Amino acid sequence: MSRELTVMMLTWEFPPRIIGGISPHVYNLSKSLAKNGVKVYVVTCDFPGAPQHEVIDGVEVFRIDSYKNPSPDFATWVYLMNVNMQKEAAALVNGLDGKVDIFHAHDWLVATASIGLKHVFRKPLIATMHSTEIGRRNGIHFDYERMIHETEAWLTYEAWKVICCSGYMVSHVQWAFGLPADKLVMVPNGVDVEPYGKVENEDLSSFRSKFAMPDEKIVLFVGRLVYEKGVHVLVNAIPKVLEKVNAKFVVVGNGYMKEQLSNIINYMGLAQKVIFTGFVDDETLRKLQKCADVSVVPSLFEPFGIVALEAMAAKSPVVVSDTGGLSEIVEHDVTGVKVFPENPESLAWGITRVLTDEDHAKWLRENAYKRVCEKYNWNLIAQQTKDVYETVLKEYSKSFWA
Amino acid sequence: MRVIILSWEYPPRIVGQLAYYVKELGVQLVKNNVEVYVVTYHDYLTGLYNEPEGIKTFRVANPVRTHTGVLTWVLTLNQEVERAASNIYYGANKHIDLIDAHDWHFIPAAVTLKKALNIPFVYSVESLEEHRSHGANSPFNMAIKSIEWLGMYEAEKLIVKSEWMRDEVSRLYKVPLEKVKVIQPKSAGWIKEVLETYKSLKGRVDYES
Repeated sequence: MSRELTVMMLTWEFPPRIIGGISPHVYNLSKSLAKNGVKVYVVTCDFPGAPQHEVIDGVEVFRIDSYKNPSPDFATWVYLMNVNMQKEAAALVNGLDGKVDIFHAHDWLVATASIGLKHVFRKPLIATMHSTEIGRRNGIHFDYERMIHETEAWLTYEAWKVICCSGYMVSHVQWAFGLPADKLVMVPNGVDVEPYGKVENEDLSSFRSKFAMPDEKIVLFVGRLVYEKGVHVLVNAIPKVLEKVNAKFVVVGNGYMKEQLSNIINYMGLAQKVIFTGFVDDETLRKLQKCADVSVVPSLFEPFGIVALEAMAAKSPVVVSDTGGLSEIVEHDVTGVKVFPENPESLAWGITRVLTDEDHAKWLRENAYKRVCEKYNWNLIAQQTKDVYETVLKEYSKSFWA
Repeated sequence: MRVIILSWEYPPRIVGQLAYYVKELGVQLVKNNVEVYVVTYHDYLTGLYNEPEGIKTFRVANPVRTHTGVLTWVLTLNQEVERAASNIYYGANKHIDLIDAHDWHFIPAAVTLKKALNIPFVYSVESLEEHRSHGANSPFNMAIKSIEWLGMYEAEKLIVKSEWMRDEVSRLYKVPLEKVKVIQPKSAGWIKEVLETYKSLKGRVDYES
């Protein structure tokens, strides 16, 4: 190619707008692609105080009017927001004389905008499916859910390639939308280890004392307090862990199960052993992960499991349920401990194993950190993504659209 | 002159009055040496057809089969309209003089095609949400009104069918009167007036690149 490869990313969230995992994903991916010689334009929703146009770490970010009128429901808002996003992106590409090689859409939230842009400019579309409606809802039960499910199916149909971040999600998405196997590509999600290095040499003993007594081990849970994250499994495992080890359980995050969980903990007489911190800022979270003697991820449904990777980057040993993307991130007894999902006995066994065997814990954390640096670093992920772009462009160059 | 007409109803799919009007418009335009494409919706008669009268129709279906209402249905149909219009555009060596969009349904597509490919459009107003919903202002009605507003703002010209409607678009959407052309269908010389309006648009959109 005579000029640099140019990609337009479409995403409904990008920092400082952070709703879930897509925002940090697109930020890190775009930044790392830019470092690998890809010109990246990000088109995303506006956010109070954030400029309409700025260049962040070599990435051109454009924020559009995200349709702030009242909408009948969330899905309708998404489709209306997409009208604005498509309009602005169309003007932007036109202003660049069409010099955009690929549109890259993240989830159904930008499906309609990106599908239209593909046809109007006749450029290939790539979709990353971070999650699915059928997975989030554990089935399709209402017309509203089916509408979103069918929009997802349409996006994967229109996409040249569909990227998923774990082998589990590849097979899930292939099953959910009936896609041919060669349409799917696995590119893992990543974690940036650099910020964890910054808290490496800090003395965290006074920080730690805010959460636990010196003789208490810290067991850390990070996640939304919702059913699929399995925090209730952890609560049931607590008495079994305490039989063997003196520990404090720190629960970070919010969700609809919070009140119910804290009531149960009071009834169990464990209030002095569990702390609910709510949502915490990035720095506090990193310090907590650094202090944790074990990090647990007891999810029932998990497309990827970024929280396990973050713990591994913080050199905290991990205990995860053997499900979804977590099964692939953790190698049992090498980079962490895997336990049976939805099984408090098994989870308690895993936690106790890590807390009572310091040599084993040390072995796990060292292997895990190495694995994170080797496999889940953003530079490598950007190169893998660039490979997908180049493969698609090569196929595209032989099509009648080229 | 090569024109793409966008309409959510067109024979054999007839919802109201608009289908007959668009058909008659197409027939008369062909008689006046205009190359006419009609992009419209049909659930199964999809694809490109050459009609005996010389109109070319391109019907698209909605890829999203399940909907919670007409609004989401319209918003996922627009991308298929964009696909059809783009296929016509690239098939015609990127030469389309203008788009004539009838009512609000395909305004999002008309706006994107203008922004992306510099094709100007006329917004032909058949009716307004304000009158259809008797002034209701739920988020649903407001969303449709916001699309009508977008169309009036982005269109080069509005064609309305009565002086009353001209006053209404001016009252409700503050459209400058000189942007609104009143053409009564099938009145004497109406097609000539449509043609003149079309001609006033040719090459109107010219973005600096």
